[in-house]
Amino acid sequence: MPTLLSVFDRPQDVAAVVTKLKGRGFNDLETYSPAPFEEIEDAVDPRPSPVRLFTLIGGLAGVVTGFAMQIWMSLDWPLKIAGKPYASIPPYVIIGFELTILFGGLLTLVGLLFVGRLYPRFRLDPAYSMRFSAEEFGIVVTCKDRDVSEVDALMRSNSAKEVSLVDA
Amino acid sequence: MTPPPPATAVADMAQSSPAFQDSKINRDILNPTRYVSLPWLGLLLLAVLGVGQAVFSLGYQTYVGLGVAGYQAPVFWAVYIITFVFWIGIGHAGTLISAILFLFRAKWRNAINRGAEAMTVFAVLTAALFPLIHIGRLWKFYFLIPYPNQRGLWVNFKSPLLWDVFAINTYMTISIVFFYVGLIPDIAVARDRSTGLKRVIYAILCLGWQGTSGQWKAHTRTVLHLSGLATPLVLSVHSVVSWDFAMSIIPGWHATIFAPYFVAGAIFGGFAMVLTVMIPSRRIFGLEAYITDYHFENMSRFILFTSWIVGYAYGMEYFIAWYSGVEAEQTSFFLRAFGPYWVSTWIMISANCIFPQLLWFKKLRTHVPTLFVLSVIINIGMWFERYVIIITSTSRDFIPGAWGLYIPSPVELSILAGSFCWFAMFFLLFIKFFPIIAITEVKELAIHEKYGGAH
Repeated sequence: MPTLLSVFDRPQDVAAVVTKLKGRGFNDLETYSPAPFEEIEDAVDPRPSPVRLFTLIGGLAGVVTGFAMQIWMSLDWPLKIAGKPYASIPPYVIIGFELTILFGGLLTLVGLLFVGRLYPRFRLDPAYSMRFSAEEFGIVVTCKDRDVSEVDALMRSNSAKEVSLVDA
Repeated sequence: MTPPPPATAVADMAQSSPAFQDSKINRDILNPTRYVSLPWLGLLLLAVLGVGQAVFSLGYQTYVGLGVAGYQAPVFWAVYIITFVFWIGIGHAGTLISAILFLFRAKWRNAINRGAEAMTVFAVLTAALFPLIHIGRLWKFYFLIPYPNQRGLWVNFKSPLLWDVFAINTYMTISIVFFYVGLIPDIAVARDRSTGLKRVIYAILCLGWQGTSGQWKAHTRTVLHLSGLATPLVLSVHSVVSWDFAMSIIPGWHATIFAPYFVAGAIFGGFAMVLTVMIPSRRIFGLEAYITDYHFENMSRFILFTSWIVGYAYGMEYFIAWYSGVEAEQTSFFLRAFGPYWVSTWIMISANCIFPQLLWFKKLRTHVPTLFVLSVIINIGMWFERYVIIITSTSRDFIPGAWGLYIPSPVELSILAGSFCWFAMFFLLFIKFFPIIAITEVKELAIHEKYGGAH
């Protein structure tokens, strides 16, 4: 199936075109942008990013690990310190808190790598080029052969600077 | 079998690539990574030499033993702990700029946050060395970590020193993660504009970033969540550091005000350090269009504000010492100002409370050389603040018969100097190989300004 790449200058145009394309049933699309723009991201996929789940799970795992570790280790070799209970909760809040942040942060990073499909690689998408890390925006649409001219026309009528076919 | 593409698309393909002009923001910000400037090389050489002499001193101390540090009973916490607290404090301003100002949507931070985050990471890396240097037997540092061992012993979770181990390690990890996550899209910009080995390294580091909508969405969420996590973290870290002191009963240390007092001091000193490193970097690499006097002015307002919090804390310490009616406290504080260490106390008060008052004047807030000199004075003042807290308190504790005098030894001073060089070395290497300004964040603002849109 042919893939069309169109280039834009303004983020609003990208968001508008994406909405129109999706409205006409062209769902196999992707955008490239030099900076984050909420309107584009929401046009492509309005659902909230699942990264937040990673943060939550990491944080909960951290607080549980923190308290479990301290309580178990204190009971494993009981030492009376300053007349306090072996497992004394108030001082353990501090390390429990630190591990909440540590695990939460690390799992957020994992979430970013997983959700954003980030891994070391040298071969990028055929449509990607350095103009999208300059100041231009791109939309890539994969459609059926017979729809090429429709997509092409739609892009052009919505202020696309240029439209081209991508060699897969 | 594909039909021939529409004529228009074919025409565009032919037109596209050759006349491509890179954006000005990319060219300007990546410029420092393109050539070796002489001032940069000179500074790097100095920094490496400074690290070298400190490594020599550390080797000597490790071989001979901690006796070569100037410890005298009852002072066994000295320059290493002071320098540790100093560098941890420096790190805090970076997190404040990158996380807290992000949550407050203070857009002016975009130009300085990368430099500030880098400063945080390198300051924490510097600080993290000092507990190890301080324990003397470097190879036993792993005793600090709870690990299963044949003796079945665990660490003491009720000790503030152990809280500190966890706080510092968490802070170091999260700062590095935050820094790296912010860098990913910028490294991709650098990757697209480099060749050969540099391109390979950038390509690995940026993890195949292409700026797709899904990647940006995940990225902005990640930055938001990390900011949410880093904000309470940064407040907790210096609080925990302050409890290393405040949880003991040494006069001068045993104060409930210590946590907020240390956090405010950390932000105060950290902002001064941001100015100290950003002013020369901006000048050497000609980034005046991005880091403007407006940014410096905003930072000096922070400095002025936190200077007042720090000044209030100093005053309150004296008040509580008097009001408590405890003789040891009163004597300790009297001797701070008028005892053998009076010079350091007055350096601290003048550098941290008196000199910053110059920032009331807009002329001086926007006069870069003044700001630079002032930021160096504040750095010195903040180092002396920790000197005063640590040395005067331990050297003058309960019984006059147990009092002693401490003078830093050459080994300690050499390692102190080395810590500045170590920090400078990392920072200099960073600005040579990575963009010192967050390219994509600046671009986000620029594109919004150009075309309008939500925000």
